[in-house]
Amino acid sequence: MQRKLISGIIGIFIALLIGAIIMLLQGYDPLQTYGALFNFSLFGLFPFATTLRNSVPLILTGLSASVAFASGPINLGQPGQLLMGALFATIGGLYFDLPPWLMIPVLLLLSMLGGALWSGVAAMLRKWFNMDEFITTLMLNMIADFFTFWAISYPFFDRSAYSPMTPQINTKGWLPIWGEFNSNVIVMILAFVVIYFVFNRLTAGYEWRITGHNSLFARLGGVKIDKNYVTVMLVTGALAGLAGGLVVMAGPHRFLKGLGANYAWDGVMIAVVANNGLIGTLLYGLFFSALQTGSLGMELITAVPKEFIMVLQAVIVLVIVAGRGYLDIFLDKTIAQRKARERTT
Amino acid sequence: MNIITGLINGMISGATPILLAALGGTFTFYAGIFNIAMEGMMLAGAFFAVLGSYYFDSWLMGIVCAILGSLLMAVIFIFFAVTLKTDEFVTGIALNLFALGATTYMLRQIFNVKGAFSNPGIVPIPRIHIPFLNQIPVIGEILSGQNLIVYITLLVVFISAFVIFKTRFGLRLRAAGYNAPSLDSSGVSSAKIHIWSLIICGVLCGLAGAFLSLGYVTLFSENMSAGRGWISLAAVILVNGNPWGIALISLLFGFTDGLGLLLQQYMPSQFTSMVPYVATLIALYFYSIQARKRKV
Repeated sequence: MQRKLISGIIGIFIALLIGAIIMLLQGYDPLQTYGALFNFSLFGLFPFATTLRNSVPLILTGLSASVAFASGPINLGQPGQLLMGALFATIGGLYFDLPPWLMIPVLLLLSMLGGALWSGVAAMLRKWFNMDEFITTLMLNMIADFFTFWAISYPFFDRSAYSPMTPQINTKGWLPIWGEFNSNVIVMILAFVVIYFVFNRLTAGYEWRITGHNSLFARLGGVKIDKNYVTVMLVTGALAGLAGGLVVMAGPHRFLKGLGANYAWDGVMIAVVANNGLIGTLLYGLFFSALQTGSLGMELITAVPKEFIMVLQAVIVLVIVAGRGYLDIFLDKTIAQRKARERTT
Repeated sequence: MNIITGLINGMISGATPILLAALGGTFTFYAGIFNIAMEGMMLAGAFFAVLGSYYFDSWLMGIVCAILGSLLMAVIFIFFAVTLKTDEFVTGIALNLFALGATTYMLRQIFNVKGAFSNPGIVPIPRIHIPFLNQIPVIGEILSGQNLIVYITLLVVFISAFVIFKTRFGLRLRAAGYNAPSLDSSGVSSAKIHIWSLIICGVLCGLAGAFLSLGYVTLFSENMSAGRGWISLAAVILVNGNPWGIALISLLFGFTDGLGLLLQQYMPSQFTSMVPYVATLIALYFYSIQARKRKV
């Protein structure tokens, strides 16, 4: 744990330093830029609340990727699953009319169903035809992208709008907002707690983890690998779908073109940086969200385009992951050398 | 007749970038690198192609810049995956997103636009009209008048097949993927082979990017590669890296691309755009059926 924390902090520091060098080369003031970046994302009630709200899709897709990678399946379908989840929640929100206490859970379940359905397609292709989920999920992302685009352009198109989007969903399906805080955070925390509990405390989660570590060992130990594979795919798809549903229900309350943005890919990156650890995913998700939330303020104050954050994120990922690997090699080497020395004396 | 030649020309233009990137990917495939950064390399190539062509007023400089830009990505990949031994999958994912972020960022910084940059100042890569050949009816329209990169691609297919299977470098390349430690113990550094394979991949993905942004259109738009890098990865895996197989598969994908355009008259364009991706899934299906048969 300590080693992870240290490598994370060092990595972020080095990455920010690299970012500062890039800014200096272009004639921006790095200190002022970073100041604005964190001023607009962490300091103050409103910025912090916005960061929290924006972190929800990042953390949920990150959790989806973390659980998948840690359990074996290389589910890279979060972008598509998020979109399908969002579409399902939107359709439910357009046609259902229930009291809010029922409406919100129903829409959330629908979004999870949408995501699980889409990851389920990949899971079935793997189970029946042994098709690699790594590529099928990527292709399904593209298909979901075009499919949802079609859905919001034709069947669910808002006739009063100029660009492809659906009408707003029933207000009873809107997530409540308390002051500055959006309740999507609560849903996210609930999902996190459930996943954390299942993954770390239940037999099922234990089996997933063991399969991820060593599937042969797990199989010899009596774990039903195929069944677990499908379960993990469905659960991770549901998580990504939930992220999509929450984006719709907390934000624009409708499905706009480009709704998924880069959330899901950022989520995959977050899982990768966190080395598939669940708590790490939560923390890095918050950090990435802070970067993205502050980027607008940064652009306002210092004229550094907000796209700079995308570059910075990739640099952070590379530096932390490379640093972690290097730290491990370095530590292992020192231990080996010490052992060798002990043997010779 | 017009429809058929149109379809074939569409097939060729759709297949070319995938084929080039996949040929790059096949070098890393044989070298035993899990390289998923073709998407990012291609995107970087496409951006720098426009940059070079616009500022130097020359398509040749466009191609050169595309290759340099793509090589930059390859060098980053080499630095992390080969030198620092970072996980290749992670490096690839981060690099793809880095390319997406960096090109979007530079699009805004350098050209002051969001979304897409097109300008009459961008010089496209010329089409080559071959004398005599273009006199032949029907076939002439296909054989002649293609983009320069198309002919280069054709050449690259032959060269890659030759290099991989007939040269000493190719043997070492395959050995690096087959059993790196035994290659190392025979006195050839597998790390060096890895580096060379990635450089070749960078060059070819740069060409693919140049074709995307200076070939049939002359513009750069955000995330222009649009999953072609992933399709090329699928193509490599489908045929186990064989260059001839890759050429065939790429043409198939290109055909579905052209078919999609043709079908646009009958159904919404969103569905026709799905066709290449669905085709990839179908191809994967046949591949896995074959693989299962081989096992039994």
